[in-house]
Amino acid sequence: MPTVHDWINSPLGVVEGIFAQYNSSPDWEQKVLDFFREKLKDQEAASWVPSLNDVPLHYLKTSSLVKFRCMVQDMFDPEFYVGVYETAAPPPESKVLKLGKYRDMTDCEVDLNSKHVVTMERQSFYCVPIPGESQWVKDGFARCSQARVLPSTSYMPQRHKRSHEEEDDEMESQPHKQKEQLTGNHAATDPFGHGDTKRLETGSQGANAAASGCPHSLELNFPLPGEMGPACLVKVYEEWEKFKVNDVLEVYGILSVDPLLSVIAEEREGHFVDSMDGMESLEEQRAHSPPASLVPRVHMLHAYRLQHNNPLLPPAASEVSSGFLGELASIRAELIGFLTHVLLGDGLAAEYLLLHLLSNVYARRDVLPLGKFALNLSGCPPSSSYTEQLFRVLQQLVTCSHRVGMSLGNMNGLHFTPQKDYTANRLRSGILQLSPNTLLFLDETQLQQGQLDAAGVRNITALGNLISWQKVDYDFSYHQMEFPCNINVLIASEGKSLLPSDCHMPLQPQLPPPNIEEYMGALQAALPPSLLNKFRIYLTALRHQEYSISEELTKMVEEDFVEMRKEDPQSISADDLHRTLVVARLLSLSVGQSTLSRDRWVRAKHLEARRTSRTQQRTINSNEP
Amino acid sequence: MDPAAEAASVGVQVKDDLSEKCQKLFVEFLEEFRNQNGDILYLPDAEELIRPERNTLAVSFTNIEHYNQQLATTIQEEYYRVYPYLCRAVRHFARDHGNIPPSKEFYVAFSDFPTRHKIRELSAARIGSLLRISGQVVRTHPVHPELVSGTFLCLDCQSVIKEVEQQFRYTQPSICRNPVCANRRRFMLDTDRSRFVDFQKVRIQETQAELPRGSIPRSVEIILRAEAVEAAQAGDRCDFTGTLIVVPDVSALAVAGTRAETSSRVTGKEGFEADGVQGLRALGVRDLSYRLAFLACHVAPTNPRFGGKELRQEDQTAESVKNQMTVQEWEKVFEMSQDKNLYHNLCTSLFPTIHGNDEIKRGILLMLFGGVAKTTMEGTSLRGDINVCIVGDPSTSKSQFLKNSKTKVARSFSCRHVEDFAPRAVYTSGKASSAAGLTAAVVKDEESHEFVIEAGALMLADNGVCCIDEFDKMDLKDQVAIHEAMEQQTISITKAGVKATLNARTSILAAANPIDGRYNRSKSLKQNVNMSAPIMSRFDLFFILVDECNEVTDYAIARRIVDLHSRNIESVERVYCPDEIQRYILFARQFQPKITKEAEEFVVVQYKRLRQRDSSGATKSAWRITVRQLESMLRLSEAMARMYCSDEVQPKHVKEAFRLLNKSIIRVDSPDVNFDQEREEDASDQNDVEEEEVRSATVPAPARPNELHKAAVPKPALRMSFTEYKKISNLLVLHMQRMEERNEESSLKRSELINWYLKEMESEIESESELIAKKNLVEKVIHRLIHYDHIIIELTKTGLKKMEKGGEEPIIEEDPLLVVNPNYVLED
Repeated sequence: MPTVHDWINSPLGVVEGIFAQYNSSPDWEQKVLDFFREKLKDQEAASWVPSLNDVPLHYLKTSSLVKFRCMVQDMFDPEFYVGVYETAAPPPESKVLKLGKYRDMTDCEVDLNSKHVVTMERQSFYCVPIPGESQWVKDGFARCSQARVLPSTSYMPQRHKRSHEEEDDEMESQPHKQKEQLTGNHAATDPFGHGDTKRLETGSQGANAAASGCPHSLELNFPLPGEMGPACLVKVYEEWEKFKVNDVLEVYGILSVDPLLSVIAEEREGHFVDSMDGMESLEEQRAHSPPASLVPRVHMLHAYRLQHNNPLLPPAASEVSSGFLGELASIRAELIGFLTHVLLGDGLAAEYLLLHLLSNVYARRDVLPLGKFALNLSGCPPSSSYTEQLFRVLQQLVTCSHRVGMSLGNMNGLHFTPQKDYTANRLRSGILQLSPNTLLFLDETQLQQGQLDAAGVRNITALGNLISWQKVDYDFSYHQMEFPCNINVLIASEGKSLLPSDCHMPLQPQLPPPNIEEYMGALQAALPPSLLNKFRIYLTALRHQEYSISEELTKMVEEDFVEMRKEDPQSISADDLHRTLVVARLLSLSVGQSTLSRDRWVRAKHLEARRTSRTQQRTINSNEP
Repeated sequence: MDPAAEAASVGVQVKDDLSEKCQKLFVEFLEEFRNQNGDILYLPDAEELIRPERNTLAVSFTNIEHYNQQLATTIQEEYYRVYPYLCRAVRHFARDHGNIPPSKEFYVAFSDFPTRHKIRELSAARIGSLLRISGQVVRTHPVHPELVSGTFLCLDCQSVIKEVEQQFRYTQPSICRNPVCANRRRFMLDTDRSRFVDFQKVRIQETQAELPRGSIPRSVEIILRAEAVEAAQAGDRCDFTGTLIVVPDVSALAVAGTRAETSSRVTGKEGFEADGVQGLRALGVRDLSYRLAFLACHVAPTNPRFGGKELRQEDQTAESVKNQMTVQEWEKVFEMSQDKNLYHNLCTSLFPTIHGNDEIKRGILLMLFGGVAKTTMEGTSLRGDINVCIVGDPSTSKSQFLKNSKTKVARSFSCRHVEDFAPRAVYTSGKASSAAGLTAAVVKDEESHEFVIEAGALMLADNGVCCIDEFDKMDLKDQVAIHEAMEQQTISITKAGVKATLNARTSILAAANPIDGRYNRSKSLKQNVNMSAPIMSRFDLFFILVDECNEVTDYAIARRIVDLHSRNIESVERVYCPDEIQRYILFARQFQPKITKEAEEFVVVQYKRLRQRDSSGATKSAWRITVRQLESMLRLSEAMARMYCSDEVQPKHVKEAFRLLNKSIIRVDSPDVNFDQEREEDASDQNDVEEEEVRSATVPAPARPNELHKAAVPKPALRMSFTEYKKISNLLVLHMQRMEERNEESSLKRSELINWYLKEMESEIESESELIAKKNLVEKVIHRLIHYDHIIIELTKTGLKKMEKGGEEPIIEEDPLLVVNPNYVLED
């Protein structure tokens, strides 16, 4: 009965069919890939595939097709497996050639001495949900999904066999997750509803829990404390070289949650305790073969790198629709207005904040990352919840974000850089293992005087390196290894931050409101959801636009620079030119222009001049008393 | 899995012709291979094997290749299959030549295997053949005995079953050999009559150099046996020769037949009732994956690439480094050593993004090559490391008037770059954001509400380069530590009452800001930098980056930056890629150049010249040319020689070293003081200090005579050397201070001071015109002291109101009172 859902419900059947059809020819592998690629081309069809991100694991059937929006957190060593084998059956029955690809185990006897046995290699990636993904993104994707998953029919009876404690934990957490999903869906209609606040709370609780060593989150190795959702072992069969650590992927693959997997692993463990050839230690075993119910396996059939994770935009298309372009100017004005209110009436700061939200490392030359624009908003009122409120607003605008309160406790206690754990042979994640274009909000107003210990100094250094070079040194204990990253760092501080930044913007509140929480609440409530969505599209879409500087403008900028230096060598330095060019780029992008124009350049210089006069004024003021 | 191994494990000895032939040939090789002297090469080694702790014979694979190419090929391709036979051959060989207990097991280890593979290249296709892989050891397990061959006692009929070969796991005989006994299960191991071998597992991981960008390094388990155990420690980089094997993960993979049964029996014996497992197995569930491991027979430390452990070990020679390179790598190194333009090409390739500043690049390049460390007859060691300091205008945001920061960018970049290139480079900052040290304190500035980090103790890497930004901002105790590290090459740590001295053979690359924010050309280097004299003298090279306004450079800078932003292509022009440079430096560092006779003479001449010029300049110089500079010159010459892979230091090397030293230094301190054009200081001083500032490449630096002081003093009265100026000012200040001490109340009047000075100088003045000239001069000096150096303060008669400083033409009172600035401390 070839219904449309066959390839979703039993993809292995399809694979085996193709394998049988192309019998001995090696083409079958390509054919399988082509088949699924073809099927998934259709947006509509792709939305039928249930997503691990929003469907609870126990609603999904093993060996069905699923998708997973995730970040590659770790890459394990390659695995060898029996790709094609022959069943070993007693003589009367004929031997059958079977397929070992896309599955973890077989349910029949295997004749390993047969000539037809083919050994193949595959790679396993440890993937986690995108760290710091905003709730509205999750809800948006969940709403788009058309997967029909009925818990009653697909619920697997053999799950009763489970014996693992973790699985019981998982059971307990699932109702909670379900409930959260419900509230999440509810919140989707009212974007500023309490669904989000709830998530925030859990987030901050998680941060506390991580400091005290929460075992559950450590087990799943999420970069950020307090994250939810399944982690996944993705088995990659083709072209694994093209995936890198921290890539954001949409993976389509065959789910494997067979509890027998855990039993086999356990059995192996039992053997190796006594035998001298135990190749894996207990810890390693736990890290690499966690119970399938906790960390399901996904055998990848198709995957692509996501440029962004904004559900309001089509995944691949970075070009903006023409209708949207027409609206651009008004959206920009609205957004500036909104940000001005959020920044307590400071219009200049709002401009810079907008530029910051659009920034993106678009190239690297030698050691220098281009396009980064770390912003330091100083002058934030210290003893109020302003920074927290500010972060909440930003969270509504960007797809991924995380806030770190730079309190001494956090600086000394949190793990910022990922670290290789040689006992378990895996990469222990850290807060700075983030996907590209994540907004990292550093709250320096929480800092107090005191002592930084060794870990604290390392963390501060890591933050400094991140800001200056857009790279994180992962700790491999015998050496450090740099991994390039692309994280937008926004520092909110009282005075100028102790961390470096590309741009220092002292905040000058025009109208300090009596009650910040009320004020921010009212601001958000006044914003219509449709406009909010436009902001979101605006920020994601414009970030990846192409940009160039024409030959003519290049000349003009050069001459401008030399001219300014001639007049007053102190007025502009190479660094300033650098920054002004970045500002000009972001400014052009923000109005949807793909090349620099004379006007934009003048405007960028003007903005910079206003900003520097403000910083100077500030320093003079603070020097006077 | 290998059929031969399979056969052996089930106990049916299939005759393997190929292997037996191999065994025969190998014995022949051992018996016949002779070295140049005609001795049988492996005989002494084989005789050594009689000692109880020895059991492995190391054989060079290249020798086998020389002896019999076919044998070598067979071993390489069928390694796993023939290995037991080769070991047997060693046993025969050893037994023929020594009195060796018959039961002793012997092993063979192959060294010098020509090709090397990366961990990432290991694939299932390579199983069974001989390979050499390298990686960093990240984990070692304890050594334990492994059963090689077991002797079993049948519990039913008490018969003894000998020589049951073991394959990775405990293997019992499949059936009792006694034909009437049908026992298949109940056996007991007789440990006394079984043979064991040392066994160890280690894990190695891909090295940084081999890693594709953005990937997590892969690792592989290594199984070591016999004498290879304990040869590798965690952190080492080692080469392992051996073969890739499939770990017989029998529990998961095994099917019906003997081995599956064995495995279940084993677990049963251990008291592990695996009923559930058995139940599953009965259902026929199989895990389809398995793992690879590497069975190594020989371990050797790897080519200490950058970051390698033995970087400066004396036993590394150029030859051994060469051997560890691949053919292509070596060819490239050779090609580089033949490059006529090597010096320049290396410089530009090293810092492609830094504009100009060629001298600094050269200095840093030589620092990477380093001089030769020596030990004198008395046992004092002389360092070979070259220390470099760069002083330049900063662009800190504290100073709100925007300062040109080209220099700063260049500075931090050079640190960054060096970090990329150098062995074990550490990059720290003297203070603040990229904090140095182990701990630090966060302190809040009460006025500006800014947080500052005060760094704690600094860590230095042994055998590396330590790049320190903002050196002047460094804590005093760190400066002291660095001082120690720079000269003694050790670092002392006092912790919990225990004083430890650690090696810190580090080259230091420091960057510092001038005291006043901007480099003041009229002051000496020492006055410009907040560093103690002993530390300053430890730097071999001092470079000063002065921000100059120049249309040509400005254009070049603008062009570079705009280019950077307008083009997205990664177009960094490099003649050599970083890897090649690293390899080349590593190779070149193995040379220990000696100074030739001619070079020696040349050094003497140049040193004399420097000394003479130094002493002729002034009697009281802040910085003297001393033996330290002589040492620096030698180190730099050696580094030059190394760069050209030369075994001797030739005059041309000394010449370049001398030129650099001359450019850099040291001579920095005393620019001329020009009284004529004080208001256009920048413009005129550029000439004066040209010698010590390192100019951008686009501005062709005109060759200037070294003897600046003596030669170019056209108007002697209005121009004087800095030392002379210093001398007069010190004289004046000293006199004033003395007067003030004597009489608290009264202050000197200007005229009184001038008169006093002229009186002092009386003996030197011979004519009236000379007197006028002197008077004129001293007036200028006082004027300068008041308005530019702010050492003397002018007081008007009407009160203690200060005169307006600097800027406009000061209103000269007829005869103001003069006092010494209370903050001024007389130097030296």
